[in-house]
Amino acid sequence: MTVKTFSQGVFLPHYKEFSEKKSITTIPLPKEVVIPLHQHTGAPCRALVKPGDEVKAGQRIGESDAFVSAYVHASVDGKVTAVEPRPYFTGTNVESVVIEVDAKQGKPAWQERDTSKLSIDEIRAAIKDAGIVGMGGAAFPTHVKLSPPKPIDAFIVNACECEPFLTCDHRMMLEMTDMLLEGARLAQKAVSAPKLIFGVETNKPDAIQALNSKIAGEAGVELVALDVKYPQGSEKQLIKAVLDREVPPGKLPFDVGVVVQNVATCIAVYEACRYGKPSIERVLTVTGDGAAKPQNVLVKMGTPIGHIIEQCGGFKGEAGKVIMGGPMTGWAQSRLDTSIVKGSSGILLFSPAMVAETEHKACVRCGKCVDHCPMFLYPNYISTYAETGRFDLADEWGAMDCFECGVCVYVCPSNRPIVQFVREAKKQIAAARAARN
Amino acid sequence: MADKNLTLAISSSPHLRSPDTVSNAMRDVLLALLPITLVSIYFFKLHAVFLILVCLAAAALTELLFRKVMNKPSSLDDGSALVTGLLVALCFGPSTAWWTAALCTFIGVGIAKELMGGLGWNRFNPALFGRVSVILLVPIFSYLSSIFVSMRPYLGEIDMVTQATPLALLKQGVGMPGLFDLFLAFPGGALAETSALALILGGIYLFYKEHITWEIPVSMIVAVFVVALIFGQNPLYHVLAGGVLLGAFFMATDWVTSPITSKGKLIFGAAIGILVIVFRVGLGPTEGTAFSILIMNAFVPYIDRVTKRPKFGEVAASQSASVSAGRPVSKTS
Ligand code: SF4
Ligand code: SF4
Repeated sequence: MTVKTFSQGVFLPHYKEFSEKKSITTIPLPKEVVIPLHQHTGAPCRALVKPGDEVKAGQRIGESDAFVSAYVHASVDGKVTAVEPRPYFTGTNVESVVIEVDAKQGKPAWQERDTSKLSIDEIRAAIKDAGIVGMGGAAFPTHVKLSPPKPIDAFIVNACECEPFLTCDHRMMLEMTDMLLEGARLAQKAVSAPKLIFGVETNKPDAIQALNSKIAGEAGVELVALDVKYPQGSEKQLIKAVLDREVPPGKLPFDVGVVVQNVATCIAVYEACRYGKPSIERVLTVTGDGAAKPQNVLVKMGTPIGHIIEQCGGFKGEAGKVIMGGPMTGWAQSRLDTSIVKGSSGILLFSPAMVAETEHKACVRCGKCVDHCPMFLYPNYISTYAETGRFDLADEWGAMDCFECGVCVYVCPSNRPIVQFVREAKKQIAAARAARN
Repeated sequence: MADKNLTLAISSSPHLRSPDTVSNAMRDVLLALLPITLVSIYFFKLHAVFLILVCLAAAALTELLFRKVMNKPSSLDDGSALVTGLLVALCFGPSTAWWTAALCTFIGVGIAKELMGGLGWNRFNPALFGRVSVILLVPIFSYLSSIFVSMRPYLGEIDMVTQATPLALLKQGVGMPGLFDLFLAFPGGALAETSALALILGGIYLFYKEHITWEIPVSMIVAVFVVALIFGQNPLYHVLAGGVLLGAFFMATDWVTSPITSKGKLIFGAAIGILVIVFRVGLGPTEGTAFSILIMNAFVPYIDRVTKRPKFGEVAASQSASVSAGRPVSKTS
């Protein structure tokens, strides 16, 4: 088996052993769900419901006329109790629909369709109606990504799951292999790509085997085994490893003839096309060294993380940190009433011992960040210039091309919060550029 | 929802850290200097021990003092002061007066490092800066000698023959130690000049621990070798004697004061190597390595700028000219 990879990046401890063998389970419904109207890249939705309204699971409750946006749906049967700003996982408040969950949930009446008869436009329409966004974290509306303005020759399924701890994509590959394949083919058809490629890291040999046994002998479908190196699941690094093509700075995958979707998104595409089922639930991994019962669970969108943590046995000892998403790009939570959105791939429970030191020192120019940055930037200069207020120089050394993967911070012996500096620099640089125009 | 009074740690991503810290690296540098330290103590006995202790103490006290006065938290735990102190001591010969060594250490740690903003902000290698200050500030040091001369402890005799540095012997063309002695162990010159082998062992350890990369030591040593040949000198003597190896493995590779990319490191190391021979041939044997490294330290920001590498995708972009206007970069799908 040839194993491919990209330049630089870093080998991280995997921490997958906590949950990689745990089958996907469900948990009891919470008392209320909180569904943010803006949980995707693009325009926010406006609410279609008001307090007092009865809603059914799958009913559209928020929409926008903008192309780059994604509808939101009620994830349960219940009654709207409020439409108001609620705490969002990034620390801000976002206009949300709060639904009191009915004790008795009806059976959703999905319409089954023959997906082989769907035209390209029908596939895209089904995806748009379902409000699907990239479920790996970026939350970019999928119908937009699947309407590329340029010819596409390869559709890649991002099955790397390169963030440590997370195993939900892995489990879905094993337990929903057919749905994944079917969803990937539908998405491939939507972009008229002649090639379908699965990129999987080699720490999931069972998933590689499961997929390989299904695609064996099929023309135009290929599985590429990838080295377990972070951030292999970043689109640009994935395309580089799989096809040896580089997406230029400021460009997108379609500029090099590629569209990438992750595992969970492909499965959502299948469900939307096959049953007309909107994006109202997802699989996520509840894990961490502090988790009493690490597992992979299927939950309704809008479920408060506190409810999920409780249903999964909570912390096994003292609580240290709660992270929404993966350990490299996820968000530390200060409260547990934030809710699961379409882009949430995990909830990590860290013991105090696992919580990283926050104090940092000056850059000692060791060069480790420069040697590992997958974008070939200069995190040392970016962070030092941002720290001293020279945002023009931070720009010169590449701040705007940083995608905040966290590799530089991981390797830095001075523990510099480079990603934090980059975020500040991006804000200032954007403001300065706007002022100039 | 202050759930059950949970206090949760909040910080920006990422939430994982490698075990690498500055303190660990400095501890490894000290370990790497252990072989040469032991060899110098073997040859010079109490003279070496005393000199090293004076410099270590001076380094620690200077850093404490400066940070106290500047109202900064102590940074002794990063270990960089001890590294500077030990390096200063190793750059001196065993008969060096303690006040000279102490003042050099003070200048290195206090002025070259702490006054510049502390570790990371210094432009020049602190140990070398301290070491050459004794040459540049001769009047002050002779004045000090007149005051302190009575406070010089008697630590036994030093064999005068071994006092001459191999480079000086080379210049005079008399009584040169064999190349093999020079490589293995030879009591001449500075503490750090007693064994090439011990320095190489230390360098290999730092390389193995990934604290240094090959570019600077290799380019510097190769340059010394080649340029010595061009000048018609014995290249091996120039490599093995006179602080070239200490400089190549421990000084020129100093993180803070060397270039960040491998191309920059190659240029930097080669330039130092050339300067070393130019100094030695032109100005005599004294401290050519130290001056060469310090001079190149000054060029580091410039070297970094001219060796800046293209970003991911930039090379590909310049190859295919037709690209449409982009949208914001999206992350993982
Ligand atoms: S600078 Fe940005 S892209 Fe480079 S390693 Fe750091 S976070 Fe990742
Ligand atoms: S890893 Fe940290 S200390 Fe090293 S060069 Fe980068 S920012 Fe500086």
